[in-house]
Amino acid sequence: MAERGMSRRAEHLTPVPGPGSDVPVGANDLLLAVGRGDEEAFARLYDLVAPRVYGLIRRVLRDPAQAEEVAQEVLVEVWRTAARFDQASGSATSWVFTIAHRRAVDRVRAEQASAERAVRAGVAAIETPYDEVADEVAGRLERQQVRHCLDDLTDLQRQVVIMAYYQGHSYPQVAELLKTPLGTVKTRMRDGLIRLRDCLGVEVTA
Amino acid sequence: MTADIHSLVGAYVLDAVDDLERAAVDRHLRECDACRTDAAELREAAARLADGAWSVPPPRLRDNVLAAVATTRQLPVETLRRSRRPYRARWLAAAAAVVAAVGAGTAVFTVQEQRVREERSVAEAVRTRESEVRDILAAPDVVLRDQPLTGGGKVTVAYSRLRDSGVIMMAADAAPDGGRVFQLWTVRSGTPVSEGVLAVGQTSIVKVVAGMSSASAVGVSVEPPGGSPAPTVTVAGVKTI
Repeated sequence: MAERGMSRRAEHLTPVPGPGSDVPVGANDLLLAVGRGDEEAFARLYDLVAPRVYGLIRRVLRDPAQAEEVAQEVLVEVWRTAARFDQASGSATSWVFTIAHRRAVDRVRAEQASAERAVRAGVAAIETPYDEVADEVAGRLERQQVRHCLDDLTDLQRQVVIMAYYQGHSYPQVAELLKTPLGTVKTRMRDGLIRLRDCLGVEVTA
Repeated sequence: MTADIHSLVGAYVLDAVDDLERAAVDRHLRECDACRTDAAELREAAARLADGAWSVPPPRLRDNVLAAVATTRQLPVETLRRSRRPYRARWLAAAAAVVAAVGAGTAVFTVQEQRVREERSVAEAVRTRESEVRDILAAPDVVLRDQPLTGGGKVTVAYSRLRDSGVIMMAADAAPDGGRVFQLWTVRSGTPVSEGVLAVGQTSIVKVVAGMSSASAVGVSVEPPGGSPAPTVTVAGVKTI
């Protein structure tokens, strides 16, 4: 049924090959092999991306049990749709994390909608102050290049990017929480990401 | 309009837009090579934020995923990647504006017929609904039509023959007077079929309709509370053939 790729020989389960080991295979090559039906390549890709997929979803959902469920959906989706990955439009990791983030956000919006309904029914919603979450996120980002680059943003740029990405807020929600005009929030999201892109040295040759 | 779409790209990449705005940006990116590269770079930068979220998953996740994968068929490469239909972007942007005004997430629940008590099933319903809406809007043959409502406001219908379903998005400027309500209709074989009754005071809704290929029109009427078996006062009609 599944067509095997050429990466049969490598059986590593660890994502980072130690010094002197086989030539490291990047996520791009693995995902391309997965697109050809290579289950072993999928297992290796899993080891490479699962901690970030799970961690990201958990960060957004704040509920480990739900995060596990959504992470499983996402990772199976990666397998199912791998043939559609197009190298020209971005990296494999970006492709995977985009799917993960999207699913997490869909889930959180659904919960928010039901929470809003609960509020209308007279039930108080539990609200987490966003500052706290932003701090927590920032704390864990230490020693990361990403952290360094986030520091490079203005306060408002950083705040809107973090609220959208790690908390799954829509831009109108961010605008309301920060008491900032919609247009400003949209603009700060865009120029914040541009600054992040430049700092990280991201390039896409489409 | 285009400037509007460009300013949305950051929110779009961060998944901070609603489904209709997303669809509008997606369409635009299909037409604009430079914008597509810009968006891809910003997405790449945003995805790096996942690096900061590293967390060890429960070991059983690996077993579960690999077991699921062993029994899951892969999808073939997408063929309909770029359809050149510039008019759609305009329509979708217009529809996006409607839904932005409506607040798609909450409006869905106020339909009487869909009142669900249990919070979990509500959340489940939203997820299903949102993915249905997204699926229709992303269909390669999606068609969008809109029509003003008598009395102010607009109804927008998006439908796909491939999916055999559609989405009715309605946003009125005000609720009907005299305690009356809005009711949605499709016309099938010349007969109006009710697609849902809004609650008293409710002015907006996003409703998924199945079997759209057998519907020749979508209508909105004003009715007594609870709705009527056939439309009384029609305030909008949208032909769908």
